[in-house]
This record gives sequence, C-alpha cells and structure tokens, in this order.
Amino acid sequence: MRSTAVPVTSPGDPGATPGNEEAARATPSLARRTLRVFTGNKLALTGVVVLLLLLAFSYLGPLVHDTEQVHTDLSRANLPPGSSGHLLGTTDLGYDMVGRLMVAGQTSLEIGLAAGLLATLFGTVYGAVSGYFGGWIDAAMMRVTDAALAIPAMFLLVVVAAIITPGEGVLIVIIAAVAWLSPARLVRGEALSLRDREYVQAMRMMGGGGARAVFKHIVPNAIGTVIVNCTFQIADAILYVSYLAFLGLSIPPPSADWGSMLSAGITYTQNGYWWLIFPPGIAIVLVVAAFNFIGDGLRDAFEVRLRK
Amino acid sequence: MRSLRSAAAALLVLVAALTGCTREGGSIDMGPTGGTPVEGGTATMALPPAATPNWIFPIGAPGYGASYNYAIYSLMFTPVYDAVQDRAKGELTTHGPGTLGLEPTYADGNRTVTVPLREGVEWSDGTPVTARDIEFWFRLVKANKADWGSYSVGTMPDNVKRFETVDDHTVRLHLTRAYNPDWFTANQLSLLRALPQHAWDAKTDGGRIGDWDRTTAGAKAVFARLTRHAKSLGSYATDPLWKTVNGPWKLAGWRDSGQVTIVPNEKYTGPKSERPHLDKVVFKPFTTADSEYNVLRSGGVDYGYIPPSVMAQKERFEDKGYRVDPWEGWAATYIVYNFNSTHGGALMDQLYIRRAMQHLVDQKAMSDVIWQGSATPTLGPVPVTPKSQYLSEAMEQNRYPFSVAKARRLLEDHGWRTEDGTARCVRPGTGDDRCGKGIDRGDPLELTLLSQAGSTETTNMMQELKSSLSRAGIDLTVRQQPLNSVLGNSVPCTAKGPGCDWDMSFFGTAGSWYYPLNPSGEQLFSTGASANFGNYSDKKADRVIRGVQYSPDMTAVHEYGEYLAEQLPVMWMPNPAYQVSVIRNDLRGIEQNPTVTFSPQHWYYVKEKGAAK
Repeated sequence: MRSTAVPVTSPGDPGATPGNEEAARATPSLARRTLRVFTGNKLALTGVVVLLLLLAFSYLGPLVHDTEQVHTDLSRANLPPGSSGHLLGTTDLGYDMVGRLMVAGQTSLEIGLAAGLLATLFGTVYGAVSGYFGGWIDAAMMRVTDAALAIPAMFLLVVVAAIITPGEGVLIVIIAAVAWLSPARLVRGEALSLRDREYVQAMRMMGGGGARAVFKHIVPNAIGTVIVNCTFQIADAILYVSYLAFLGLSIPPPSADWGSMLSAGITYTQNGYWWLIFPPGIAIVLVVAAFNFIGDGLRDAFEVRLRK
Repeated sequence: MRSLRSAAAALLVLVAALTGCTREGGSIDMGPTGGTPVEGGTATMALPPAATPNWIFPIGAPGYGASYNYAIYSLMFTPVYDAVQDRAKGELTTHGPGTLGLEPTYADGNRTVTVPLREGVEWSDGTPVTARDIEFWFRLVKANKADWGSYSVGTMPDNVKRFETVDDHTVRLHLTRAYNPDWFTANQLSLLRALPQHAWDAKTDGGRIGDWDRTTAGAKAVFARLTRHAKSLGSYATDPLWKTVNGPWKLAGWRDSGQVTIVPNEKYTGPKSERPHLDKVVFKPFTTADSEYNVLRSGGVDYGYIPPSVMAQKERFEDKGYRVDPWEGWAATYIVYNFNSTHGGALMDQLYIRRAMQHLVDQKAMSDVIWQGSATPTLGPVPVTPKSQYLSEAMEQNRYPFSVAKARRLLEDHGWRTEDGTARCVRPGTGDDRCGKGIDRGDPLELTLLSQAGSTETTNMMQELKSSLSRAGIDLTVRQQPLNSVLGNSVPCTAKGPGCDWDMSFFGTAGSWYYPLNPSGEQLFSTGASANFGNYSDKKADRVIRGVQYSPDMTAVHEYGEYLAEQLPVMWMPNPAYQVSVIRNDLRGIEQNPTVTFSPQHWYYVKEKGAAK
C-alpha cells in the first residue's frame, strides 16, 4: 500500500502548506528567516565571534606560540607578565601562562561541548519518549527525573569525582549524567503537545510505530527548544568543570583546565600574583557569556513571532 | 536615572560592607626584641586546621592520640619525662624544670632503671605527688593496655618485668632485657605519668577511694570510669576529676567546638621557672587554614600561622608588628613504596630503581619554590633539622642529589631503554646489568601514586615529581584522594592479596611521621611493624634498628640512620614545617618545640618603657 504524502508542517508555518508553492517561493525559507533573525541579534553575533576567537586561541594558538606544558620548571615559577618570553608571566610551576591558557582552553571547551551535547542528546530522547508514550511510562520516567533533580548536582559531582579518578572522558560522562534532566523535562513538555497534532495522529493511523513518531516527528519539531537548551547546557558544563576543578577534582596534571588554573591562582591572592587569577577567570566568563548570548539569539530566531 | 542612582548607592553600600568585612587588625607597635616584661594578659593561640582537642585524660585512648590533645593535657598533668628544650645547650632533652622526673639512672647492665621524682611537688588539693601516683598509672596501663593508644606489642608495659616503689619519690623498673638508656628514656619513660591516685582510684562515681588499681579487675573498673568521664567533652570544665592537677595550668573552659581556655594553677608547687606569667591562654580551633588566616589578619589571634604560599608576604606581617617563624617538626617526610604491590612490587624491590627515583626528587627546588623556604630536604630517617646528637656527618650529606643524568644512567645500566617517553625493560634477568627479578622483557616503568588532596603545595610537589620522573622514562600516575582515603588505602598488605595493588602513597603534607625524642625506626621500618605501610623488609635493617633499641652506643643510631638513608625504604621528600607561625612581637618566651608541644607558662608580654600596660 502506498501512502499519500501528507505535508509535515511545523507549527505556525503557513508558508509551507500545499497549494501555496508560489507564495512559498516568494517568501524566504524557514532556515533563512531563522538565520536573518539570529544575525540581527548583535549580542548573539558577538557571542559567535568570541567563541570562534577562543576556539582559535586554544587550538591554533599552540601552533604560533609553542611552549613546554608537560615538564615543570621551578626556576621560572611565578614570573610576572612581561618577563622574557612570557607575555602573561608564568605559573607557580613555571609553565608559560599564555601556553597554559591555550592547553587549558582545549580541555574546558572539549569537556563543556561534549558534556553539553551528550546531556542534550540523552535528555531529548528521554523526554520525547516519556512525553509521547504518556501514561505509566511517563509517570515512571518523570519520577526518576524528579528524584534525580532533588539531589544537588554539585553534591553528586563531588561524590562521583572523588570516587573515580577524573579523566577527560570520565568528566564528560559524570557532568552529562547530572545535566540531562533539564532538557528531558523541556522536551517532555513539547512532546505532550506534539503527540496530539494531526500529522502525528495520521502517521499512527497509517501504522507508524512509536520509534518513528519520536525520531521523525517529536524530536524534529522540538528542535528549536533542544538547540537553544543545548547552548545553555554547554555553558553550564563548562562552569561545572570549573567548579570541580576549583574543588580540586579536575583531571590530573600536567593536563589543565581554566577552573584548575583559577583554583591554583587563588592560593596566591595574598601575594598579588594577579596574572594567575584574572586570565583564566576572564576566559571562563567570556566562554560562558558567549554561549549564553548565542542561546538567547537562537531562542529569538526560533521564536515564530519574530520571523518576518 | 533614578535606578542608576539607586544602583550606585547599592554599590557604595556593598563596597563599604566589603571593606568592613576585610578590615585588618591594628598594628603592634613593638619590635621583636626589647621592651619590659609585664605580668598578666591573655594570649590566644590558633590550633592547626581541623584540630579539635577532645581528650583530657593523660592515658590517651586509641583515636584520641592527637598531638594537640597531648600538648594540652600535659600543661595540667606534668609529664615525668618529655622532649623539653635545654635552653643552655639549645637541644632537646628528656628532663628539665618542666618535668616531674629527674635524671634516671640505669644499672644491672641496663636491665633496671631508677626514676627519681622531683620532691616538694603537690597536687592542687595539697596532696604530695609521690611514687604511688606513678604506680597508679602503671597498673592502669598494664591492665588496660589494649585500650591505650600508645601501646604496641613488646614495648611499655610489656618490657617491664617488675615495678618497684623504692621510696615516696623513687620508682624502679626491672626490664625484660638490657635496653639502650637513651632510647628507653626518650621513647618509653616519656610515656610515664603521675596520676592523682588519692582522687581518682574509685571504681564508681562517688565510690570509696582505695587501692583498687592493685588488682586487675579493680584497675579495669577504675580505668573504665575515668575513660567514661574523658568521653564527656562538654563537662570537662565542671567535672571535679579534672580539677586535681599538678601542672602550672588548670582548666577554665573546654567547649565542644574544641576551644580550650586555661588559667594559672595558683596552687602550683613546681619550679619557679615554670610558673605562668599570663592570666589566661586560649587555644582556638579552626576548620580551615583560610578561616584562621582571616582571623589572624584581623588581629583575632596572637599566635597563629600562615600557609606557606603566603610566605612571600612575610614583610607585610612584620610591618604590622608580628614575627614570622617557621616551626620545624622533629619529623621525616616520605613517599611509601609498597614492596608487595601486585602491580609495581617487583620494580620497588630493585634498589637501583629506588636510587634512580631518588635522584629525580629535586628536594631543594621543591623546598625553596613550592614550600617557599618553609621545608627542608629529608636525607634519611633521622631528621637533619633541628640538629641533634643522633645525626652523623654522613647523614647530613645528600647521597642522592638531583640528577636526571645519573637516574637515566642507572636505568640504562640495568637494561632499560626509553621509547615513546616510557622506559621498558630490554634485558630481563637477575644479573648485575639486568632489570631484576620479576621484571619481564618489555615491561614498562609505570607506577601509581596515591597522594593526599587539599594542599596546593602537595599537588605542586607531585606534579613536579611526575615531571622529573618522566625525564628518565618513569611514568607516574598521581591519584589524589582525601587524607583519610589515602591512609585507608595504603595499609600493610600481603603480596597478591586484596587491597595490595597500590604502588606508592603520600600523606606528608604536614610531615609523614613525628618521632618521639629518639628517632628510632622500629615502628616504621622493622619487618611487620605497625606503621611499616609499605611492607619493607630487610634483615640488616631489622638488625640495625634493634641496635638502636638495645645498644647504648650512639654509633648504633648512626649506623641505622646511614644504612636506611642509603637503602631507601621510602622515597625521601621535603619535610615541611609543622606550621609557619606568626606571633605578636610583644608576646615573648615562645619556644617552638619540634615535638610540637606547648609551654605557655614561659610566655609573657612586654611593653615599651614608660608605656601603660
């Protein structure tokens, strides 16, 4: 049996209804309009630029400014900015500060991005399944979420990181393990409204299964919410890495991340070694702000009323 | 505009509030010398981070043996022998004005020791301190040795065959064999204590005072009662038991939080030099070093400490009228090698590997840079500082100075080749130029170290060590854990047994091991000893350690120190100061005893001539 093609419409997207193709050609596509709203947001663009600069600094920087970041050099410890060959001075173990920021940036960004994406992916599928199937499945899955939310995330992170020796992979998994709850609840809310839409019901009448409904209809139609939330998840994950590092539960040396650099620098506050504190602190603020600006911009871009 | 003004006002309030919160205390207008001594005043001393005094009974129960407990109850119950400063010689000795015991005499080929007690000393209720009070202690300990924190098999009271009361002020111990008098006095007689038998020898509260301690059952009942009272922390200040003291101080307050206040014992009958000058001394506990530092800056303690990382700010405190004085501990600091490790035991067994690793510990740079000069290199089991008669010239030499080249050569000479940054065995076997027993071809030189977390200095020291070892191809994985986890995970174990997969362990952020006066290593390095966490076993080491316990010849200590310094039963690491003390310039008379006891009876304030008190 051949099914009749039923155009899938996103909510509030009249331009894509059948029989109105000419009008559709005359108006810009959904993606273009989304992009136009996003690029019209100056803060979001600033976020993108800052993020690109930080990525370039962390990954391309070492190609330009090659420094020893494995072996310590105590004879060069705590040199102030401007010392020969050290623009931002050196750390308490003699590492060049600029080079250290680059290496630490790679770790912070990798863990933040990976943990944020993993949490969003898992949370999205979890929430979509829960919301679509409803009933006792939804009740059971959401009680699990509620129970997990009742435990402070930092407490869980500190306990787990204290038990397991934290490597980059371990940190990604344990941060994602506490961060997936928020996207799960958001997507579940979307799924509850989407599952009653005509196109979902039509798919079910034609024999479509739950997996098809979730992956072909629920998740794609909640993608705006998912993407916006993902940016916030990444920002939060970077902060979590910093929190853990500040508590001494980061990846072991000679690896570093911005949080552990900040933590080490705080020890020397009374000595006036500002260059150990401000650069990693500013880097954390910049990257978190950048992701938040991007998230705000994306939210506006996916907001129907703002598309013209 | 209005909201802008409101925001500005809020900001001003915030800044003012923060300024108030971070206000520093006033300066002390006095140098570290000069001035006229005055009587009276209160001194507040900061206790180490997380140190909460919780025991007053001079027989320390297991788990209550912290040095600060010992230091505080020793001010009320004078020790018979202790590590005290000989001011004339500038050395530590076992007896002096601050001890109840006079110089002990050994006889019968060092098989008996006679302990003369200072005469004329009375308890605060007017009863004389006599030999019966020492006997009371001995009988309580003998009947309850399993519940005594200082007990280890074969030592006091096991090594005393008979306790004899010679007269009211003399006791004699008949020993099970001949002992080294220096060791026995410093490490065994220092455990003796006079307890007020006339006030404490009752089986029940309010019961008749008698000679109950002279039967085992009676001694157990008396001990149980005293221990029960000692566990009632909140009632220390009011409990009549603890009011009968013979020391220069008596208790005025002991809070559950650990804050202890002592005032002079006006009935003190000991030497005049031990009579307090101050009206009151407060020992203040702190949960963290940061909280103590903030209180110190605001002038809340008169005798505190700073983290080593703040040593660069020494002048700042000196300008404010404080003196900064690192308190050296009579201690050794080291990383334990686990010779039974399932993973790295065969590597640890090879002396050339231990030598190579010791050559890669840059103790001087670690002490100077990471510890900001507040640590000194550990060169063997006998502490190098402060100077003592236990130290020979050879022990003051660093046998394994930092040298990557020497370390590499030692490994290469024994069949190791470094590929991709990791040394691998290419000549297995047991010959002189081979890797050694239990090491196969291709085995990597990889080790795991459990290290205590929570200290920047320790973290940096381990990072430096990892970096140094990697220069010779030794791959060290450092796992940081809370101190209690490290101590719990690095216990003596049997080869291939459960829990024996750790290679190395470090718990020496504040020194790994504080010695009694004689730095003998029977508890650390003897085969099967309770604190021999790494299962080190060497017949000659056992022999030289026994030599320290039994032989009166000082060369026995030198032989022990030199042999173990060379054999490397552990990896010697920089020995940090007990604390970097910061003391008001007008508070004088402070001696920082390396065995970390206090003598506040010697403290006094000074004032400028003509200034008001």
